[in-house]
Formats: sequence, C-alpha cells, structure tokens
Amino acid sequence: MKQAAAIAGVGATPYYFRGESAPQTPYELIGKAIIAAAGDAGIRVEDIDGIVSYAGGFEASLLIEQLGIEELSFAATVTGQGGGSAGILDLAAMAVETGRAKNVVCIGCSQQVNARYGAILATVAMTPEAVLAPLSGIVGPGHALALLAQRHMYKYGTRREALAEVVMASRAYAATRPEAIRKRQLTLDEYMAEPLLADPMCKFDFCVETDGALAFLVTSNERARDLRQKPVRIVGSAHGGRRDWGRSFFWLNMPDDVFATAGGEAVGKQVFARAGVTPADIDVALLYDHFSPLVIMQLEDYGFCKRGEGGAFVESGAIRPGGAIPVNPHGGQLSEAYIIGMTHIREAVEQLRGTAVNQVAGAQLALITGGPAPVPMSAAILGV
Amino acid sequence: MTLSIFPPDLGRYSEIPMDGWTRPFWDAAARKALVLPRCGDCGSFRWPPGPFCPKCRSQVLDWVPAGRARLYSFTVVRQKPQGQGDAARHVAPGLVEFPDCGGVRLMAAIIDTPREQIRIGADLDLRWTDFAGFCVPQFVVRTD
Repeated sequence: MKQAAAIAGVGATPYYFRGESAPQTPYELIGKAIIAAAGDAGIRVEDIDGIVSYAGGFEASLLIEQLGIEELSFAATVTGQGGGSAGILDLAAMAVETGRAKNVVCIGCSQQVNARYGAILATVAMTPEAVLAPLSGIVGPGHALALLAQRHMYKYGTRREALAEVVMASRAYAATRPEAIRKRQLTLDEYMAEPLLADPMCKFDFCVETDGALAFLVTSNERARDLRQKPVRIVGSAHGGRRDWGRSFFWLNMPDDVFATAGGEAVGKQVFARAGVTPADIDVALLYDHFSPLVIMQLEDYGFCKRGEGGAFVESGAIRPGGAIPVNPHGGQLSEAYIIGMTHIREAVEQLRGTAVNQVAGAQLALITGGPAPVPMSAAILGV
Repeated sequence: MTLSIFPPDLGRYSEIPMDGWTRPFWDAAARKALVLPRCGDCGSFRWPPGPFCPKCRSQVLDWVPAGRARLYSFTVVRQKPQGQGDAARHVAPGLVEFPDCGGVRLMAAIIDTPREQIRIGADLDLRWTDFAGFCVPQFVVRTD
C-alpha cells in the first residue's frame, strides 16, 4: 500500500542544557510543543484525535486532560525508546491511512533534572539477563557501544580520525544553527588530545545532554494540502528489527557479522522498499548520533557505502555540505541538542520545506533513523 | 603513556539479581567453576540462559565447563577522580568469547594487565573475585 500521510505541523520548545528546563515539567514541555505544532499546521488543539509516542512514560490521559483534547480515537506507543523515535511516524501514518484518526500528534521529550541518561544502564542492566555488564565496569550505554566501535576498528581498520570527522562535521554545521548547544569548532589536534572516556571514544564522541520537547502533527496527504504549511509526506516508514541484533548492547551476543554494525540493516531494507527508493535517491540523512561511531556504522547499514568502508567514507568528506550524503545539517545530537531523536524529524521537515538553516539545495527526500538500540528500531523517509 | 588498569568497584552494587534460569551459573561461580548453558536437546549454546532454546524451544539445559577464553572486544573506561588531586582510574570491561562453547560471550573485567596488552583476540585466564556471597569472573591477558 502506498503511504498516504504527511507531517503538517512542527512544534518545539527551546532546547535547554541538561536540567535547565526546570521548573517546567515534562508534560508542560510536551504541551507547549503540541500547541506549537497545532498552530504551525493551522488546526485547533481540540482537533487532535490521536497521540503517538515512544517508550519513556508519556501518558496520553494526562496530556488530553491538561490540553483540553476532548476525544482520542488512537493512542499508541512504540516500545523502543530512542530506537523508536522515527517509528512514531510509522504508527501515526498507519492510524491516518486506516482512518482511525485524522490528526495524530507524535511527541517526544527529554528532561534530565534528577537523572542522567548515561547512568540509566546502571539500573536497567541490574537484571538477571544483563548483570555481568555493570559488574565488568560498564556504567552507561556509551561504554557498551564502545565495544562495537572497538570491534569495527579491529575488523575494518576504522581510524579515530573518522570518529573525529563525524564530530567536526557536526560542529561545522552547528556553527550556523541558532538552536545548537555546542557551536565551538573543533580541530583534529584538539580531538586527539582529549583523554579517552571509553576507548575508542572521548567526550566529543558523546551526544550533548539537553532538555526539550518536540511534536509533529501527522494527517492525510489530502488534508495536509488544505493546511497552512507545505506538506511533507511520509513516503516510507518502518519499525522492527531482527533477532540477531535483538537487545543489542544489553545482549552483546550478536553474530560476528552483525556485532560491528548499528543494527539498522533490516529496518533500512524495509523503509527503502516501502518508499520505493534507494540510498542514492536520498538528499539528506538525519542519522541518530548519540555516539559518533554509530553514524559510521549506520552509513553502512543504510547502504550509503559498503560494509566496513564507513570510516574512509566519512574521511572523504562525504557527510559535509556538497558531499555524497550530507548528514545532520542541524548539528545533530552531537552538537545541536539531544531530544532522543526528535530533533532529526524537525530538521528533515525544515530541509524539505526549504527553510533549513543549512539547506541542502533542492532536497526532496530525507532519511531519518531511530536510535541504534534494542529492537524495535525504526526509520522513515520523508519527501516533497 | 602507560595506563594502569584497576578492577571495577563492585561496592556500588549490593547484590546479584538472578532468577531460576541464571541461578545455576552463580551457584557454580560460588564454587569458582565457570559453566555455560547448553541446550539438552539440540546442543546449542546460548547466553543469557533463559526459559527456551532459541533454536528448538526446548527447556532442557545442561551446564558445561566454559573452557578456553579469548577477548572479543573491550573498552577502557576512565573514571572520574575520587578526590581533588587524585588521578583518574581506568577499568577495562571486556567481552569474553568462549570458543569451546559455541562462541557465546560474557562481559567480564580485564584485570592485572597493562593497557598495551589488552588486544582483541588475546587469550585470557580466569580469576575470581568474591562479591555478595558469590564469585564474579574476571580475566587477565595470558602472557607466555
């Protein structure tokens, strides 16, 4: 079935450094984003009849109570936290295409007032299935994903210069992005001089820690044409993944040919098949960059270069302006803000509306990926 | 610059969470025996142990000696200095592969090994450390 839904509205709070969005609550931040998204689309908040989120504790009941949304005909959650960040568009599109709802708002929020995401693994992993990781000295997800990066370097000869290039490219884009938290430019010498926090990664390879909320109003292509903004179609969307990636960095028993990847190959094939396009057709890629090595692995997973060649690919300048595939022109989660994947959807919409700060000339198709994380993972292709 | 590798501080945790499927691993570990789960019907290894063999869905499990160990991947984690003037300490979480047990992998700290000798593919020797009434497996890189 051809996909027939579009993003008609975008709303976002300011992006705050970790903890600085207090005393607003997460629901206040999400509410502000929803009101802004409805306003951007030109619909009333009361006209929202569907709410979609990814796992992480957003209660539709409290949102409709606070915002005065009278009736929902669809409310659902993708289970995969950051892995599901692009998958919310998949759920919303299905709801709209099947007629279950007319105006579905997709929401995401990050607020790190009392806890830091990096420490979450310490509590999550103290389970019978995963207790050996914390007992071995692993504290955060970055430590566990460093094992994948280390193996990628061993297997394919990927260099730290490639990780540095992902970060430096991100900073170069962030320089002109008003919302970006980290704008200061980075040199290779500075990068190499920085102590390793989780070999092969130094602090620059970790995403920023920020607060904020975003919301996207999804409706049918038909209705979107009558609204205020140029519609941005969801031409392909997918969420799922394979058993051989499974719990990924909580499992670490992926077969050898899957271990040093970002686990996105299956979802990549699904999303390109649904959209009926190939990686060569994509004008701009919004790749989930919680840690820089995962950008390199996703470029391989999603077919922008061959397996094992991601390091050399980025070192060739491929992800820079005018390169083979510009990546994260908003500065991404490494430099702009980290709202668990949501900022990537906003940037894709801005690129396709033609209003992006670092506009890729004539962009018509954008790929968005959800986090390389436990299944379900997700991806979406947007187009105009 | 040579980094000294320290064992991880287990004092931040108070107990080992376990269930009926993982308890035999820890019971054996308490006797300083490293054992891994093998399907009693089709013979495939898996980690972690769980209620079903993912190959044949059998619930029969045998526990067999882990055998040889080698380093599949690792990281070296820099820990924040404890007090002012203290140097940062480094721990080395390792992903250890067991070629005699179908290549299943466990996370375990690499200890008592200079940083330069921690390399993917290195042969490892088992060491035990007491924790919470049980023993936790750790490894050193073999030098011979």
